[in-house]
Amino acid sequence: MTTLEPGRAPGVTPDRAPGGPRGGEPVQAGLPALPPAPTPGAPGPADLAGPPRRRAVRVSEGAVLGGVCTGLAQYFGWPVLVVRIVFVGLAIAQLFGVLAYGALWLLMPAASTVDAPGLEAATRTGMRTGGRPRRRSVDWGAVLALAALGTGMLWLVQTSGLGVSQRLFWPVAFACVGAALVWRQADSSAQQRWRAEAGGRVWLAPLVARGGWPALVRVIVGLGLVGASFGLVVAQYNQLAQLPQVLAMTLLALAGIAVVIAPWLHRSRAALNEARAEKVRADARADMAAHLHDSVLQTLAMIQKQSEDPRAVAQLARRQERELRGWLYADDVPEASLKAALTAAAAEVEDERGVPVELVVVGDCDTSDAVQALVRAAREAMVNAAKHSGADKIDVYAEVTETLVEVFVRDRGAGFDLDAVADDRHGVRGSILNRMARHGGRASVRSQPGDGTEVRLEVTR
Amino acid sequence: MTTSPEPSGLGGGSAAQRPGPADGTQRPLRVVVVDDHAMFRTGVKAEIGRSLAVVGEAEDVDRAVRVVLEQRPDVVLLDVHLPGGGGVEVLRRVHEREPEQRFLALSVSDAAEDVIGVIRGGARGYVTKSISGPELVDAVRRVAEGDAVFSPRLAGFVLDAFSGAIDVAAVDEDLDRLSVREREVMRLIARGYAYKEVAKELFISIKTVETHVSSVLRKLQLSNRHQLTRWATDRRLV
Repeated sequence: MTTLEPGRAPGVTPDRAPGGPRGGEPVQAGLPALPPAPTPGAPGPADLAGPPRRRAVRVSEGAVLGGVCTGLAQYFGWPVLVVRIVFVGLAIAQLFGVLAYGALWLLMPAASTVDAPGLEAATRTGMRTGGRPRRRSVDWGAVLALAALGTGMLWLVQTSGLGVSQRLFWPVAFACVGAALVWRQADSSAQQRWRAEAGGRVWLAPLVARGGWPALVRVIVGLGLVGASFGLVVAQYNQLAQLPQVLAMTLLALAGIAVVIAPWLHRSRAALNEARAEKVRADARADMAAHLHDSVLQTLAMIQKQSEDPRAVAQLARRQERELRGWLYADDVPEASLKAALTAAAAEVEDERGVPVELVVVGDCDTSDAVQALVRAAREAMVNAAKHSGADKIDVYAEVTETLVEVFVRDRGAGFDLDAVADDRHGVRGSILNRMARHGGRASVRSQPGDGTEVRLEVTR
Repeated sequence: MTTSPEPSGLGGGSAAQRPGPADGTQRPLRVVVVDDHAMFRTGVKAEIGRSLAVVGEAEDVDRAVRVVLEQRPDVVLLDVHLPGGGGVEVLRRVHEREPEQRFLALSVSDAAEDVIGVIRGGARGYVTKSISGPELVDAVRRVAEGDAVFSPRLAGFVLDAFSGAIDVAAVDEDLDRLSVREREVMRLIARGYAYKEVAKELFISIKTVETHVSSVLRKLQLSNRHQLTRWATDRRLV
């Protein structure tokens, strides 16, 4: 969600600065000293803002009602079920849990997930299906158990005489369910998007949203329940005979209010549509910016300058491709991880030697001393392959299991006879075999003249 | 190349007998290229045109579905990102009418969820656009023969997805685990081994390697735990 308008930015996603990430990292023009290879996916400007403050958010995935419990559970690191039981329990105590839940629903912002810009753009323009995971199917067993638990306890409390007075109980229960229905409608994912556009006028959401007939039914049933609770109160405190008059009066009053606010409602809706259209345009501009990102322009300029040197051009193109690919599609890789280190090493070798390195990493782990040694040895192996094998690409595969970290560096190049390598040749023995041995790891080289080389490195975690 | 007369398709049993890809004659394989970049389509045609017959091209979902159903090519080269719903949508709509149609996905996107998504949508392989011409021709041939094409990266994704990270309780044992052999094959492919080299390394025939890969593909497509797609999605947030 990159918003390019400072004026009407809704301010829900402060984690991406205008202009797209990595704005401050252009490719240095024409210098042999290459810029440090960017770790894919790490958004540049986020670093400037310091570590983001952690706050509890509502999580709609796996939510039963508003996602408050799921959000709290994630925030505190407790199991969701425990939080839910606490709320159900609190609900018994003079409906305190219900009030607390409602308040938290209003106060906790909804979680917003941010995709890589390339994926967001592709989703937005309909180039791919299913950007977001579907709302997970609710675990009805758990819901049923909670409901049974709540009902039972409620019944217990009510019969013991400690609960809410009988006159209030049903109206309040109805009103709660009704409000929950309407609020949840206001909360559904479609509205979440434009709620951001509308600057958070939550209250209008169910009334002016376009959500299809299920939404309509939910809102009507919800409002109906609230109305019924109102009717119940009236019926209990006055005589039942007066109910029609009271209802008529209420309806009249509501109709009056509706007439008064109708133009305002209409205007809000128009403004909302306007905002939506504006957002679409802004998104389109942002997508464009993503495509014509600074670094691409820089690289194009450099290619023009160096057009007589095909090797340099290929190298530039390859580096740009890697950077762009990393920015558009890659996952967020923690900086001090094996994956990031290997990616950086592979990129360096690619840039220095001009041989593409195909890197596949399964699993990931933090970089301990041994893992760092492993990465350096792997880098040495890649450099060797690029220098001596003559292969047109190098395959690197790393796998992290619970006990072991393994890296394979393979080329389909010339190969060599391991026994024939002189002892003083530093590369293989010193940098790879001995280094791994020093750090308690193992290394083996398999090579045959004409059949390529594979270096296998491993350390225990 | 093996010459299996009846390529073992996924479901099998389609009434329409269309000319099999390996019917003995030297007829070049018929291919439709679906990609929204005209420049890329031209490039692919130039690269593979000598060994394969490009009988159609399309730049969006609607045209792709029409051209594929009209031409019934041996293999469709399918971009993952396409106007009108993406490659997954093309797969869905074509397979409704023609469940035996074979697709090879081709993309610049390395996003795990897209790769897994398009495979689960029914493509028999996935290669990136940086693949060389001869390699692409080889991959098309493999897909036409009913085998699966796994790039090192896809093999890596598969190993990740089927690793112990996903809770194995309450899932279909057969479909949700890789056998030891399948895992070995996947690891070798991820290490950059071609099928031939995998076969040599494990002392098995190429045909057996192909069987293992097809079986992994089947598990990837049929395993109906939502964790698989969730894995691909969550992976981006960790």
